[in-house]
Amino acid sequence: MKHISEGVLRRLDDEPLAVPDRVTEHVAACARCQARGAEIADDAKRAARLFAAPQLVPDLDAEWARFGQQLRRSEASGAGAGAGPGPGRVIVDRPRLRSPRVSLRAGLAIGAIGFVVVGAAAAASLTTIFAPTQVAPVSLSRGDLQAIASLTGLSDNQLLGGFPTPTGSTTARFGTITWHSSPAYQTTSLAQATAAGRFRIPLPTKLPTGVGAVQQFIVQPRVHATVTFNSTAGSLDGSSVTLVAGPAVLAVYTSAGGTDLPALAVATMPRPTALSSGASTGQIEAFLLRQPGVPPQLAEEVRLLGDLKTTLPVPVPSGASVRSIRVGGSPGVLLADSSNALAGVVWEDASGMLHLVAGLLDPQDVLNVAKQLG
Amino acid sequence: LAEFEAFFRGHYRAVVRLAQNVLGDFQLAQDVAQDVFVAAYRRFPGGYEQAGGWVRVAAVHTALNVLRGERRRDRRQLRVAPPSSPPSAEDAVIEREARAEVRRVLRRLPRRTAAVLVMRHGGMSYAEIADALGVKVGHVGTLLRRAEAALRKEFDDETHL
Repeated sequence: MKHISEGVLRRLDDEPLAVPDRVTEHVAACARCQARGAEIADDAKRAARLFAAPQLVPDLDAEWARFGQQLRRSEASGAGAGAGPGPGRVIVDRPRLRSPRVSLRAGLAIGAIGFVVVGAAAAASLTTIFAPTQVAPVSLSRGDLQAIASLTGLSDNQLLGGFPTPTGSTTARFGTITWHSSPAYQTTSLAQATAAGRFRIPLPTKLPTGVGAVQQFIVQPRVHATVTFNSTAGSLDGSSVTLVAGPAVLAVYTSAGGTDLPALAVATMPRPTALSSGASTGQIEAFLLRQPGVPPQLAEEVRLLGDLKTTLPVPVPSGASVRSIRVGGSPGVLLADSSNALAGVVWEDASGMLHLVAGLLDPQDVLNVAKQLG
Repeated sequence: LAEFEAFFRGHYRAVVRLAQNVLGDFQLAQDVAQDVFVAAYRRFPGGYEQAGGWVRVAAVHTALNVLRGERRRDRRQLRVAPPSSPPSAEDAVIEREARAEVRRVLRRLPRRTAAVLVMRHGGMSYAEIADALGVKVGHVGTLLRRAEAALRKEFDDETHL
């Protein structure tokens, strides 16, 4: 019998039951085909590794709702029916690059709003970790914060501590920012917090030494924040971007020593999303990054996030150390202050939920808590 | 629309996964998926038996179009020297660079070669790929083998620059 072709050896690696018995019998007895098969399998494994990026799970309800909007929009614009290619050969429709949905990467100011939104739930006790909304670190100095504050018209304290009121608006240089939500509230009942969030709230079963019981749950209802660009924004004039975040639930643990300072906090929230009325991510990013006052180093960091549109950046305060980690198979970021007395872990799980674990603890202790939730 | 909703929910994740394999970007992959499903809705009025394979193939080709259309922008970005990253962020940087390199290689490979890689490593079976590419199922292994060898070669060339 002739040696086995490379194509059949490749399929043998993937679908061994689909190849005839005579092929497997030949390979079992032929050193040459075994060696070629091993090389082919190596290339296949390497390719599989290269494509093994973390796969996020789409929110089908949200995406179906968005499909309805897309359909109406395309019908309104008069797109013809049947404009597609034959099954599987050619490109059907060139997709519009103007994305109706943008990530937080869309720009500094939007990022700042993200910090604020999550901060509304978390910042009271976790001001060092501004926003658990991303899993890619972006260094943020005090000067950067002031620059963002100046751009958005919010004070830098507000950036850290949340919007000043549940509903309101502010005027930025390039447009207006409006937000609405309900005030955050506290409860001591996990059932109530779960009902408010409408998601499961994972809590650790084994706590580090020094951490007491859950003191309270803080619930931040969903927040909508909209940036409407004005004529100073050039081609963006009239377009708007709405960031939807929350609800978020923050479980606060007391210190076992009986002090009032919380020792540990565990926050859970769905991944925030941003919707644009028409401007693309690239347009918004380019506009915001060329605003006067944006520190060049920060602009460069944001640009370098490049392809990370789906990965939310975690602002890293200057002086903090940052490490890439994995929690339950999902990539995350571990932050610690210079003395290792305060640490936090942020990650997004496969179902699209964002988690933050932070405390006045050693980084390893914080990571151990996070791994119980992942 | 109710019938289409069941089809949408049944196939959306697979379509996003394929587009994400090309683009390395979940949000952009969802944008591509949305466009593909709008096209499918128009193309298959009433019956969606044939549409499952079609949306997968359309996702791959549409995502490849987006990828190749963004080439110029990407080159511009590459000229920006990365800032000195703290050593602790090294893993994240390596992972990001590997993903970026896969996309650069996908741009350079012939379209069918890139498509077969993305389809197989996006979870499509040999039979589905055969149907998508209009070839016999026995030929898919050959195409895939050539594609993976080309990927290895391109990747080696790239990393040895």
